[in-house]
Amino acid sequence: MNAHLIISAFVLGLSMSGVYFLLTVGLSLCYGLMRIISLDQFLYYSVGAYMTYTIVAVTGNFWLGLLAGILTTILIALFVEKIVYKRIYEKSVMFSMILSFGVNLMGVGLIKYIWGLEPKPVKAPIGGNLNIFGTEVPGYRIFVILLAALVYLAVCYFLNKTILGTAIRAGIDDAEKVEALGINIYKLFTLTFLLATSLSALAGAIHTPMVMVVPDMGMNIIAFAFMVVIIGGLGSIKGTLISSLLVGQVVSFGSLIWAPLADMAPFMIMIIILLIKPTGLYGSKYMKR
Amino acid sequence: MKRLFNNNLSKILIIFTILYLLKYVLPQSFMLEVIILSIYTMGCSFLIGRVGFVSFGQPAYLAIGAYGTAFYLYYFGTNPFVAILVGILLGLIINIITGAFFIRLNSSYYTLCNQAFCVVNFFIFQKALVKYTHGDNGLWFLSRIDPTPVIDLSRTEGVFIFAFLVAVGVWLLFNYLMNHSVFGATCLCVKCNEEKLRFLGYNVFNIKWLAFIIANTITSLAGALYSLYFGFVSAGITAPSKAIEPVAISMLGGAGTLFGPLVGSFIFIGLKDIASQVISYWELLVGLMLIIVMLAGEKGIVGSLEGFLSKLINKHGNNEGLQATNIEGEVGSE
Repeated sequence: MNAHLIISAFVLGLSMSGVYFLLTVGLSLCYGLMRIISLDQFLYYSVGAYMTYTIVAVTGNFWLGLLAGILTTILIALFVEKIVYKRIYEKSVMFSMILSFGVNLMGVGLIKYIWGLEPKPVKAPIGGNLNIFGTEVPGYRIFVILLAALVYLAVCYFLNKTILGTAIRAGIDDAEKVEALGINIYKLFTLTFLLATSLSALAGAIHTPMVMVVPDMGMNIIAFAFMVVIIGGLGSIKGTLISSLLVGQVVSFGSLIWAPLADMAPFMIMIIILLIKPTGLYGSKYMKR
Repeated sequence: MKRLFNNNLSKILIIFTILYLLKYVLPQSFMLEVIILSIYTMGCSFLIGRVGFVSFGQPAYLAIGAYGTAFYLYYFGTNPFVAILVGILLGLIINIITGAFFIRLNSSYYTLCNQAFCVVNFFIFQKALVKYTHGDNGLWFLSRIDPTPVIDLSRTEGVFIFAFLVAVGVWLLFNYLMNHSVFGATCLCVKCNEEKLRFLGYNVFNIKWLAFIIANTITSLAGALYSLYFGFVSAGITAPSKAIEPVAISMLGGAGTLFGPLVGSFIFIGLKDIASQVISYWELLVGLMLIIVMLAGEKGIVGSLEGFLSKLINKHGNNEGLQATNIEGEVGSE
């Protein structure tokens, strides 16, 4: 194994981490505040990807596609939140899991109905290669890494420095007290859900040039997203970041060593971590029984 | 009539007689699929309704049983009874190991972990063990199944009768577990209030572990029956996109009820057969059905019907047998 291979695998791993982080931070936030596990984030991921594909095919502009993907999913999410989630915020986590999986499944069926089954390619908006220590690395991957880092910083800023973010963090700690202060917690719920959704759509949109756009793309990434969420611990942004970095590298280097290892190694790591800490690395204290 | 209705044993007898008679009205392959699918769902339904574990990874346990049977028939022997036994044993061993890991997690982590386990299983059967499982092409062994005396498992009628008998056995077992044993009561207590159970001095870990092993070994048994019926197993059996099906069927029929899985499977396969002629994307309907069932209330068809029927029947005369139905009603509304 030479240095070129290691550097390119490292960069690939980092860019995958970026996608995983964008996808799972929404799941984590939703769990933290609303105590729901919103599996329909994977639908928004696919919709973001498909909208990007469609707009790129029509206008040729990737950034327009990215924006359209995010806006479309926000509209869908508003609808889903109003129809489905409003009714189940009070109920147990299990309820939201089954229901949101149903939403996800229905969405996959609709996507198959609208766009058909065949894989769709999307060209990367940033061509060219970057030279890192003598290794040529696709510039788009660097862009994905930078974007994910930027989103992490932005989310941290939003949660820690703004009034709304502070209210959300307070809601994560004690939702009843926040309501007692006169803040409409359901508005916070909607806001958090939309934030999570737009991040998922962003993940789908920026993932398109790296994979084929297929109806089952949400289902294909579901296992990795779950592993990231479980390793990091539900409800923790920092944990999600660290575990997505870990899983990205493990997948990338695993596939370098032996192809099936790419899928199995993260699972092994997850099992080991759960053996040591059943709530994941940074699991919230409410997860403990 | 009242006594007949309130007695679970006679209910099992009646319902399975109807099921057997339906064979003469509906196609046999349809009935066979319903029976195997309901055995498959039974484990999942028990875990959801009685223990409080929702698993999106049931196909993994199904596939383990199916591949156990398939490996035996493809590589080693020709006796289908031994093959089923091998499938169950393989399922049992793997369930004991994975159970010890997964049981420690609380419910939401359990669900996600199971789905991850299912996906990993899919990759193992599709890619890592491709030399032995032939990946998506699958193992074909229908011609290798030997004719057996009494119940000829090499023919579909034999498989039907065998699956039917197995289903009766499974239902009797779960009837005992759910309604007549301390173990079933403690399982329900795990779902409702685990702390109290621990306070009473029970070993919660062992109860959950045993429930996990029983339910998922039944799932493996269904897998073994599947592979015997089709004479073919491919990696598609553990496809993660199918993982929601048992959960959807349990919810449709009523999770934790005795006959929920049967009614759910019957409606599910019927819908599937009708719908597949009209609409080619099956996910759409499953998703829609799941949303409607969950929003309409989590009791499911049998859960709602049971409360209604028992009210109707117990209206006249004394309150004999009311207690039993009361317990069921509480479970349904849990």
